[in-house]
Amino acid sequence: MPAVQETIDRVRKIDVDQYKYGFQTEIEMDKAPKGLSEDIIRLISEKKGEPDWMLEWRLGAFRRWLTLEEPTWARVRYPKIDFQDIHYYAAPKSTPGPTSLSEVDPELLKVYEKLGIPLKEQEILAGVQKTEESELEEANDNVYKSGRVAVDAVFDSVSVVTTFKKELAQAGVIFCSISEAIREHPELVQKYLGSVVPTTDNFYATLNSAVFTDGSFVFVPKGVRCPMELSTYFRINEKNTGQFERTLIIAEEGAYVSYLEGCTAPQRDENQLHAAVVELIALDDAEIKYSTVQNWYPGDAEGKGGVYNFVTKRGDCRGDRSKISWTQVETGSAITWKYPSCILRGDDSSGEFYSIAVSNGYQQVDSGTKMIHLGQNTSSRIISKGIAAGFSQNTYRGQVSAHRKAANARNFTNCDSLLIGDQCGAHTVPYMEAKNSTAQFEHEATTSKISEDQKFYVMQRGIPEEEAIALIVNGFVKDVIQQLPMEFAVEAQKLIGISLEGSVG
Amino acid sequence: MNMHAQPQRTLAETALIDAFGERLSLLPGDGAVMVKRDDAIEAIKHGLPTRRVESWHYTDLRRLLTSVPAFEAEVVAKALDPVLDGSAVLPVLNGVSNAKLPEIEGVTVQRLSEKLTDGSVAPGLDPYGADDAIGALNTAFVADGYFVDIADGTELEKPIELQNLQSGGQAHVRLLTRVGAGAKAIIVERQAGEASEGSDALISSVSQLVLDEGAEVTWLIVQEQPDTATHLAQFKAQVGKDAKLTLFVMNAGGKLVRQEVVVRTTGEGADFKLRGINLLAGDTHTDTTMVLDHTVPHTTSTEVMRNVVTGKARGVFQGRINVHQYAQKTNAKMACNTLLLSDDGEFSTKPELEIFADDVVCGHGATVTEIDHDHLFYLMARGIDEKTARGLLVKAFVAEVIEELDDEGIVEALEARLDGWFLTHG
Repeated sequence: MPAVQETIDRVRKIDVDQYKYGFQTEIEMDKAPKGLSEDIIRLISEKKGEPDWMLEWRLGAFRRWLTLEEPTWARVRYPKIDFQDIHYYAAPKSTPGPTSLSEVDPELLKVYEKLGIPLKEQEILAGVQKTEESELEEANDNVYKSGRVAVDAVFDSVSVVTTFKKELAQAGVIFCSISEAIREHPELVQKYLGSVVPTTDNFYATLNSAVFTDGSFVFVPKGVRCPMELSTYFRINEKNTGQFERTLIIAEEGAYVSYLEGCTAPQRDENQLHAAVVELIALDDAEIKYSTVQNWYPGDAEGKGGVYNFVTKRGDCRGDRSKISWTQVETGSAITWKYPSCILRGDDSSGEFYSIAVSNGYQQVDSGTKMIHLGQNTSSRIISKGIAAGFSQNTYRGQVSAHRKAANARNFTNCDSLLIGDQCGAHTVPYMEAKNSTAQFEHEATTSKISEDQKFYVMQRGIPEEEAIALIVNGFVKDVIQQLPMEFAVEAQKLIGISLEGSVG
Repeated sequence: MNMHAQPQRTLAETALIDAFGERLSLLPGDGAVMVKRDDAIEAIKHGLPTRRVESWHYTDLRRLLTSVPAFEAEVVAKALDPVLDGSAVLPVLNGVSNAKLPEIEGVTVQRLSEKLTDGSVAPGLDPYGADDAIGALNTAFVADGYFVDIADGTELEKPIELQNLQSGGQAHVRLLTRVGAGAKAIIVERQAGEASEGSDALISSVSQLVLDEGAEVTWLIVQEQPDTATHLAQFKAQVGKDAKLTLFVMNAGGKLVRQEVVVRTTGEGADFKLRGINLLAGDTHTDTTMVLDHTVPHTTSTEVMRNVVTGKARGVFQGRINVHQYAQKTNAKMACNTLLLSDDGEFSTKPELEIFADDVVCGHGATVTEIDHDHLFYLMARGIDEKTARGLLVKAFVAEVIEELDDEGIVEALEARLDGWFLTHG
């Protein structure tokens, strides 16, 4: 559409040149030498104090990776990545497992404060320092109205701190870094790790399996509704490092958990690699809600630098009546290659995918989802909104399939695109595959300017044109914003920069 | 072809390459044509496309084309009565256009073999892309067909029917048509054949159509191949300024069918309509793939596909609309609706939008479903038995697209063919 000035201005505010998380922090780091080999993997495994089975698992993945070729089917272009020119392990020196915030490097805490993730204040709110509680509570009242959030902060390759652990433990919820989980809860990790995204899955997932350094682990036992939102904040700081995190979330029978993920990185001329794997497992009647606000450094106005975001995210609705919901707001990264998917294995299970992808500058986004219907009476819903500006390319790529036995599979897909400027591109590539006659699939996609009728309707009610257009644009992304937890919705709104008054709450 | 180097050639690939060596001396063409043929067979030597080639994702030709029949058919096909009464028929029988050419005012008809021999059609023989396997196959082997030129301002009173009839063996046919400025025509492209015992058929057929300024054409593709035929067809058109093209495609036969539709709007005010029905039965594979390029501002297109899948049939619809950077004010809409009537049937669809202009209205919709129970109930509550009720609903579902053609003669003729299909497959 020929964008309204207001929309253009607001999208420009998130222009690549104005990336506000682009600072870099000088922290003494412990790094593995550049390059990738079995020795490096042994080193990572040793640094993490991992058991033998884990090392074998990693080596198996690495050997497999050597046989794989980089995928080229996505609509993204980038120079060949030299996988030997990356540090596969970088950790702040002071982190041999801090048990409380006081042991965390204050520089690190400052980083998170700058990012708007006040680890300390949250701990205080939880009652660690009772004296300041009332004062702070007031100050934060607006922000934390909907409840507290437990945070796992991942800095380059390691998790530096996880808050609210004790309170969660009381509810029976395990929330810790994956390295800790491998040490403390090996039986759970061994049972579930790689069961959704096997080590052989794809080029980047296999690479991740070999070299992943940290990430979050969540286990919500049978019947427990996780008492607070869980959150991980990922930060790439060190130069020439790759971040390979691994997240594993398990919700047992009847459990519920909502998990948030945020990401940023400093401004650099070089491209940085981020290849994460996220696995979700929902057993009978369980529900997992996974929200992402991805704001990795997108590169500068000429398209120099930025993070390559090659992520494999997959949820397995293993149990009957289980539900997995993905919500993502993608504004960062030079390249995004990401398809959070749901395997609807259990009968009556359901999957959801809500996405807003904003691209500007020379960003390239190729994102979407897969909904694989295997069980009976499964349903899925996909809402994707792409906004392309500048010289960017924004692609929705999705697959919906119903297998022979997936009786009564039901899908609704809606993907809309908005183009701002004539140098960018918006693309829609949906795949629909039905092998069961009782399946019902609907797909619709549009790319359009705001219709005169819509505008007339609003203006006819006495609303001036500019506001009318703003309202209609608000409506464009509303479906997705509504799915985000409160805190993220606020952040997402800022990121997208298009006013969405009254649509959240 | 953008195909991966294949470790080993399949039987079909080897057979095609060998056949080229044997046929070469029999194929018409001057030096320029022969160069194109050589390039084309080189592309085939790199291997037929697999599902790794995106545009062939659902039709893995390398795997599906298991054998290639010998060239000569034992039975000679016979021309059929035209679909539309009173049409002038131009038959290609077993790959050869040796019938007497009809005389139609304002229309020049030539055999394609002559145009190949004098090399005048050489520039048009290039495949349209690296993954254009049908174009390459046809360019390598094409021996005959027709060249039809409709002079500027000619309004044809009677339709023209191009028949490509095959009874076993191989045939590679090209049908070239130019419709001059302001001319109007109805053209039927008939793709059919007889199953001759023990001999499968492999047909490649490429139709190329150019619409000059203000021309109006209704082009009907009626494909009713026997279930022994592999039918690889391509329809390529350029729609000029203020020209209107309505393309109707009916696939109601064949064993392995791929119908490509490649259309480009080249002048402002151009309008393209695609209406298609796929009637799929038995153990067949039918793929309709459309690539539509809006290259200039102010052009419009609508595409509606209706598919009925029964038995073990597999159906595919891929539709890609490319809106180029300068093609502002494009209005493009595409819909693909499928009724999946059997549990052994399959339908896969991939409707794509690639948009580089910002002031456009584009949309696509796709559905796959079974018969609506409410509709069924409505009819059955009126005393109609289930089988009849289902039949009525399925027929109405596809007939809707035919009715949109808005020409009584055409609608009646096509509905008659529809009835014929339901009689044998209902």
